[in-house]
Amino acid sequence: MLSTMNRRIGLLLFIIASVYLYLSFQLPNYPYAPVDADVIPKGLGILMLILSVALFFSRAIETEAEKAKRNIPKKELLVLLAVFAMIFLYILLFEMVGFIVMTAVFIFFCSWFLGYEKWKTNIIVSILFPLGMYIIFVFALGISLPNGILPI
Amino acid sequence: MKKTWLTAILAAGALTLAGCNSDNSSEGASGEEGGSFEPSKTIEVVAPAGAGGGWDTTAREVARIFGETGIIEENLTVINKEGGGGAIGWAYIHGQDGSAHNMFVASPPLMFVPLNGQSEHGHEDFTPLANVIADYGAFAVSADSEWDDLNDLFDQMKEDPESVTVVGTSAPGSMDHMQFVRIAKAAGVDPTKIKYVSAQDGGALTSVLNGSVDVFSTGVGETVEQVRAGNIKVLGITAEERMEGEVLSEFPTAIEQGIDESFVNWRGFFGPPNMDQAAVDYYEEKFKELSESEEFAEVRKKYGWSEMYMDGEEYEEFLDNEKQEIQALLEEIGLGN
Amino acid sequence: MDAFQGLLAGFQVALSWEGILFVLIGVVVGTLIGMMPGLGPISAIAIMIPITYGMDPAPALVMMAGVYYGAVFGGSTSSILLNAPGISGTVATAFDGYPMAQQGKAGKALAIAAIASFFGGTVSVIMLMLLAPALASVAISFGPPAYFALMLMGLTAISSLSEGSTIKAMISAVAGVMVVTIGIDPQTGTQRFTFGNVNLFDGFDFLVIALGLFALAEVCMLIMNRKNRNLSDDQKLGSLKVTKSDLKEMSGPMTRQSFVGFMLGVLPGAGATIASFISYIFEKKISKNPEEFGKGSIKGLAAPESSNNAATSGAFVPLLSLGIPGSGTTAVMLGAFLVLGVQPGPLLMSDRPEIFWGIIASMYLGNIFLLVLNLPLIPYLAKILSIPRPLLISLVIMFSLIGVYSISFNTFDLYMLLVFGALGFAMRVFSFPAPPFILAFILGGMMEQAFRQSMTISNGSLGIFVNSPLPLALIIVSLLSLTIPAFIKWRSRRLSLKR
Repeated sequence: MLSTMNRRIGLLLFIIASVYLYLSFQLPNYPYAPVDADVIPKGLGILMLILSVALFFSRAIETEAEKAKRNIPKKELLVLLAVFAMIFLYILLFEMVGFIVMTAVFIFFCSWFLGYEKWKTNIIVSILFPLGMYIIFVFALGISLPNGILPI
Repeated sequence: MKKTWLTAILAAGALTLAGCNSDNSSEGASGEEGGSFEPSKTIEVVAPAGAGGGWDTTAREVARIFGETGIIEENLTVINKEGGGGAIGWAYIHGQDGSAHNMFVASPPLMFVPLNGQSEHGHEDFTPLANVIADYGAFAVSADSEWDDLNDLFDQMKEDPESVTVVGTSAPGSMDHMQFVRIAKAAGVDPTKIKYVSAQDGGALTSVLNGSVDVFSTGVGETVEQVRAGNIKVLGITAEERMEGEVLSEFPTAIEQGIDESFVNWRGFFGPPNMDQAAVDYYEEKFKELSESEEFAEVRKKYGWSEMYMDGEEYEEFLDNEKQEIQALLEEIGLGN
Repeated sequence: MDAFQGLLAGFQVALSWEGILFVLIGVVVGTLIGMMPGLGPISAIAIMIPITYGMDPAPALVMMAGVYYGAVFGGSTSSILLNAPGISGTVATAFDGYPMAQQGKAGKALAIAAIASFFGGTVSVIMLMLLAPALASVAISFGPPAYFALMLMGLTAISSLSEGSTIKAMISAVAGVMVVTIGIDPQTGTQRFTFGNVNLFDGFDFLVIALGLFALAEVCMLIMNRKNRNLSDDQKLGSLKVTKSDLKEMSGPMTRQSFVGFMLGVLPGAGATIASFISYIFEKKISKNPEEFGKGSIKGLAAPESSNNAATSGAFVPLLSLGIPGSGTTAVMLGAFLVLGVQPGPLLMSDRPEIFWGIIASMYLGNIFLLVLNLPLIPYLAKILSIPRPLLISLVIMFSLIGVYSISFNTFDLYMLLVFGALGFAMRVFSFPAPPFILAFILGGMMEQAFRQSMTISNGSLGIFVNSPLPLALIIVSLLSLTIPAFIKWRSRRLSLKR
């Protein structure tokens, strides 16, 4: 039943559309609008249900190019996940630790992790880029960025 | 629902009481220490909206005048905390409990947004410092409209409510909507039959000019230029008495048209909860000085604002009353939360 | 005539040494801020407001205008080089600009964008000068029903924005509108799909979606391909080499789309984003080789670039002649006027002709400055792409994060950026096109609001959309644009079957 990718995605979309539709039916009623806030979401939910069914049963066969696109080696996916985790950590910590330090750490480790071996250049860029951005944003543009543990 | 309202009143009452208490004690203390509070670092003024809007402009102008006149010697910086119609900025200030170097600019949305259930924080959660200016609402129609005053409009609305559409910038239940409902109800229009649409990005004025909608509920300032150019006419404003200034003084109030109701778009400053009484006293005085300065009079004139100074205590009382009235009105039209 | 004298006075302002200096400062600052991913004209103008306190209004506003169109001008850079549109008006620029840069023609792409921007900017200033007073009535002719019809027309273009499966394109589009329904509904104040989370009350900022679906998704692709050899010959990257035949190729789209962009810019609420999309689709539809679009077509790059810059000047029509801000950006601009004690509106032209015409006259100068300043910069900008992949990836991630953070100062938006980055990557992997998503996100919200405003006004009668000529005409055009291509396809298929 879930033999093709289209079927699997179709099923997933069907579930998402159902949840969305369920939530649309929960929207409170507002007395003064002929077309209330729930009308369009309900329409969208139904449309998405129909489209997901259409995708499920569509006979379109994936082209070779499409298949190639989703052929991702496991290892690469892990690399990607690791980068996302790094970004997540960055967001989690940068208001506390501060923009300059956190950005420097991120650029250095992310670049190194992705295979950048000239560590001298890496260090220089990791320090100069956040410093430069900080100076431009905070002093030239007046947009404050978190300073965190640094005094400035 | 009712319960939260009750707690809110109680909390507000408790706050006022607490305010009174600390007031007394600090008076005693200041007898010994003298002026007691001086800002020791940069004062952060939050505009809970993006750059360029009403809150932002007020905050920046006030900060500028404080700086230029030297009324407050310490620096004031304005920061924008945009989002949730103000809720994000309020939550931020609420987190600065007790700080004497943070404040934010506020206006009626500080009541409307929590009343609409869109913010946990309302005015009673903060320390009112002072109100500085007042702005008023205006109801405008296209220049070639058949209505010449509010009573013409309201008569039509009583007769055939479906034929009149009101447009404003904010969502229903918020300022542009409720100021109209308030005046219309006082004139005898059934408040549950008012048709209101919300339009952003200049759409409201456009729709009135091209005749898609009939009435534009907005701030007085937004109408002046269009009235001068003869594009629209203002049927009535929500001020208690006529305003001063060119064009402005020609706008009739609702009261003089026999509708006994008004609405003020107040704008003032609040500090975080539990701000020290000495700091409150300090800011009250500084805002009073600002409000009375010639420089700020210029600013008011530039934007068509009126003077309306209230100290913290008076402010709180005023707001509690306002909130009660709005709450009742919202419940009547079925938008109460 | 008065207007002529006014224009003379305007040129006196613009060509005084003070005028020239401030135009120069304005466009330089604007273009630099615009080049930063995430910082667009709104932030650029907001940043400049405090600086203008106490300045003489005429030069100050000439400078602010320069910052505005300078930022739009510079906004294409990050779209082309990094697939990271900094402002909504340059999303369509990335469709063909980024592929060109990937083919090692970054310098050329930037040069084409600059020339198209210059052209669009200049043509629209001429129109602004000749027509501003007359167009004021056009700007207010659109009521909610007409806006609904206009957005509908834009949405019919979705099918032409993608290749491959129509079902998948439609799914993308529906998903885009679904995302835009999140937040407080302006017509009723109802919270939709916010789960009581205050960060969702205002819905998603456009930039979060655009940087997620485009920039971060692209970063993911770069990570996958990081071991492939770096971009082709580094020296060629910066070469401007726009040949005569290139110029000839882009002259058609530039001319047409400058007009289209200007007219759409005049309408409050439509603006540069919608203009750039419609222009892109317009050119694709009339092109003899539509299959080139999206793969680095010169026309596909020139069309949105001339259009978004023309729309920027167009937006000055309602602002200057009516005092109506048609967009968030012009609303901030209006704030800048007020701070300087100038009230834009119907009387500006007679009360302060030197300001009205001064701004318009300065735009000629500003556009020339922008071109002259930007062309020599291009080889250096293009070098960004020769940065080693791992480092470039880290920097693009950083740029996207800073860009989003500098709008809202809210880490919630950063997490959402990450979510949309993942979504964008998944969409690529499974061949769901992103452009319909973003177009539906932009148009869908406005379309829903316009539809429901109309229905409230008409007390629930659909007749409002066909009872007046303007919405009716627009609806007919959108129906035709849907049916004609289908009909042609059907007929050609039948013909080929017969043979």
